[in-house]
Amino acid sequence: MTTTAEPQETKYTGKSQQRIEDPRLLTGHGTYIDDITVPRMIEGAVLRSPVAHARITRIDVSKAAELPGVFAVITGNDLVEFAGEQPVIWSVIPEQRIARAHALATDTVRWVGQGVAAVAAVDRYVAEDALELIEVDYEPLPVVADLEQALAPDAPKLYEDWPDNISGSMTFPAGDADAAFAEADVVVGASFRHHAGYGCSIETRGCIANWDVFAGKLDMWLGTQAPNLARDLLAQVLSLPVDKIRVRTPDLGGGFGLKFDFYPDEIIAAILSRRTKRPVKLLEDRQESFVSSSRARDMRHDFEMALRSDGTIIGLRGTAYAVLGGALGTVGSGPPWASVLACMGPYKIPNQELTLKAVMTNRSPYGSYRGWGMPKANIVHERLIEFAARKLGMSRIDLRRMNFPTPEEFPYFSGAAFTYDSGRYADCLDLATSAVNERGWNVRQREGREAGRSIGIGYGFHTEVGAFGPSRVLNMVGLDHSGFDEVRIRMDSTGKVTVLSGQSAMGQGTHTTYAQLAADGLGVPIEDVTIVTGDTESCPYTGYGTGGSRAATLGGAAIVNASGRLKSKILRIGAELLEANPDDLEISDGRVSVRGAADASVSTADIGYSAYRMLNGRLPESETPTLEEIDVFDPANMTTSYGCTALLVEVDRQTGAVTLLDCLQAHDAGVIINPLLADGQLAGGLAQAFGGGLFEEFVYDEDGQINTASFMDYLLPSATDIPPFHFYHQETPAPHIPGGMKGLGEAGTIAGVSVVASAIDDALSDLGVAVTEFPMTPPRLLELIRAAQSAGVTA
Amino acid sequence: MSDKHTVTVTVTVNGQVYTGDCEPRMTLADFLRHECGLTGTHLGCEHGVCGACTVLLDDVAARSCLTFAVQADGARITTVEGLAEGEQLNTLQKSFQEHHGLQCGFCTSGMLMCATELLRENPNPTETEVREGISGVLCRCTGYDSIVKSVMAAAGDQRDAVSEAGSAR
Repeated sequence: MTTTAEPQETKYTGKSQQRIEDPRLLTGHGTYIDDITVPRMIEGAVLRSPVAHARITRIDVSKAAELPGVFAVITGNDLVEFAGEQPVIWSVIPEQRIARAHALATDTVRWVGQGVAAVAAVDRYVAEDALELIEVDYEPLPVVADLEQALAPDAPKLYEDWPDNISGSMTFPAGDADAAFAEADVVVGASFRHHAGYGCSIETRGCIANWDVFAGKLDMWLGTQAPNLARDLLAQVLSLPVDKIRVRTPDLGGGFGLKFDFYPDEIIAAILSRRTKRPVKLLEDRQESFVSSSRARDMRHDFEMALRSDGTIIGLRGTAYAVLGGALGTVGSGPPWASVLACMGPYKIPNQELTLKAVMTNRSPYGSYRGWGMPKANIVHERLIEFAARKLGMSRIDLRRMNFPTPEEFPYFSGAAFTYDSGRYADCLDLATSAVNERGWNVRQREGREAGRSIGIGYGFHTEVGAFGPSRVLNMVGLDHSGFDEVRIRMDSTGKVTVLSGQSAMGQGTHTTYAQLAADGLGVPIEDVTIVTGDTESCPYTGYGTGGSRAATLGGAAIVNASGRLKSKILRIGAELLEANPDDLEISDGRVSVRGAADASVSTADIGYSAYRMLNGRLPESETPTLEEIDVFDPANMTTSYGCTALLVEVDRQTGAVTLLDCLQAHDAGVIINPLLADGQLAGGLAQAFGGGLFEEFVYDEDGQINTASFMDYLLPSATDIPPFHFYHQETPAPHIPGGMKGLGEAGTIAGVSVVASAIDDALSDLGVAVTEFPMTPPRLLELIRAAQSAGVTA
Repeated sequence: MSDKHTVTVTVTVNGQVYTGDCEPRMTLADFLRHECGLTGTHLGCEHGVCGACTVLLDDVAARSCLTFAVQADGARITTVEGLAEGEQLNTLQKSFQEHHGLQCGFCTSGMLMCATELLRENPNPTETEVREGISGVLCRCTGYDSIVKSVMAAAGDQRDAVSEAGSAR
């Protein structure tokens, strides 16, 4: 276990510090990718396939190339001259067939929206004019539009040399699942379907590539959550040395995992830049985003749970089907794999048999979205446990509680992959149920029902894997990347502090929370701390990127460690200046003083001056000049935060519409750096999950055509759709993370889908409705209600 | 490109007069961002749903992505860059900082402009009125609750400021 070095003072940590990011962003002074203009810059646009599966028989770009204002037009054949196939960094299934594609299609298109050609022109208006002049002939191929078609015995194949459309399959066994199911008193099961959606940051993706062959450098501005990974992958695809590539990230208008992945657009922009000898800006517009940003969530889970009559869960088994696209995205089958590894959730289940099947379809590539598989894992265990409670006639609260590991049982191995570090699950459950009582929901439900309204209270318990993750473990399970984080912390010649981090700021307030940790770690005012992120040339390398609830946990731990060591050096220099023993000194508010004798003190400015400029007589002979520490933190284990969410809803039985009335969550993410920001993360994640639970869906027709490629059809929740939120925290520190943080960026998205179903079921408990499909749109719910009503009449 | 038809547009943005030549198809959002250099107005969908591009056009909230620059010729426009009072955030902006009414900041320009209009028309809104008032701007980060709190608190602060000014008179 790693030694825990707690910050000695917590003037800032644990406080609702206002964000240092805000004044800039509130005044329109943020700088997002489209706000950046570099000298000589031109703009690109991509021609995307209008069909889901076809052979390209002819492309004629001549008319487009002749349009005034056009600098270059490229096709897949031009691109392969300089670029290899798009990378896949997760190969989670042994012997998986990895279907790769180039950034522009060369002979076959396998999804609507796959890039076919690209233009660079004087501006985006002209570039889009030019796209209309490109002629492409497509010879249609049979389309595999959905999962069921892909699995059919006579299904057309996406890849002719494969035996079927299955990219790979694997099973995680624990104990003896067959025996458990044979001896079970009660078995509950269902087929759960979460349809496709995506992260949908309000800012779309974009980049500016400047590939200057004469300078021998590729300089890229990129709206990414993983600049170091992007640099490595640019190097890999373009056969360039990493040191010749610089990736800078501007302000990100939301990330949500979607901007973790590495897209064809980055390569297309680079090639266009090389061809035109000009920097090229390439932005995805909103309509494109529905086919060009990572599709996510799209899975079916056929699972069942075995229990004894007293409620003890003894087995879980099933098959999860990942609806992959026409080629693998950056993270391959990673999120579906996580949905399987996490599907036992917070419950002790000794016997498991969990199978993943990754299936290719003519849809856009599958990729990252906040929660990364875990929302669907949560659907499996939270829906099944409620179905079991119903069948056993037990309280759904008691059934959950009796199957938790007790605090003494941690670290607890969950059976498939994860070892949960610490937790007080039952306390958290009780915190939520007592909050529901305090807020009067039970009374509201009773009174509402008496008035003929269908009011329901939903519950959901979630676990969230954070601090992702121990590098060697990640490598062993198929990640071609690491999981550590590196931080550089520096006090300058005036005693002010700069922290350089490889993490990305995408709205979660990383700069503020890092400043809080550094200010406490060094004993300086928070105003004296500057955080720098977003430049591979000056910022440290981080494994992976900003995802997997890594920023507070791993970056935070590295800051705690590095500032602890830097503080020791500051005190040693202070001791020289004060002619005292370092052990007798303390530092507070930027002044080093003898403990108990505040009049004998020096400032951090004095320390900085002694370390950088006036060394003679001030810097101890044994010390090297400068004040700088680096910490590389590779966790011994991941963290597991958890929470219990409750949701109050009303269902309209005439329309199938669901109104979200109120929401609360009891949560434990270990040490909370900033409660204000923590609540913001939880609320935002829940709102996204409610979108996925009720509204958001990529709808495809039988030709694989997407019918929801605008905000008129893909429904993001608005302020009138989302309820108020109330959060309750308990803190069980992560024992292996300096600082004790567990992370919480994904909690809301994991918890929020199944709880919608739980609440709807409760509102319709007299009908016995069981929600298993998401989003549960009004037409779908109406169908369930009518089926239940007619079954009731028949009975 | 030489035969491109252009028009001259003059607008007053945040009190500053800007004149520029543009194609008739140029949107007001692009005119503000590219011709005026005011990149605080953001584009999230370019089809009039997300509301990030909301500006005040002659004091009325308008989607600048669905407005052509030529339609705004002669108009008085307020963008997010025009809200701060000198070097200080205004009451609404301060309230957003205090209540964590923003995360990534991308929709925030639209939210602030929308809420500015809302509070001018209804200085004493209920929570429901605030939710309805801002429902034309989509936020993906916050879950809206903190934005609602920010606007409600700003309304309270504005009322306090008015009554203080009244009692000082």
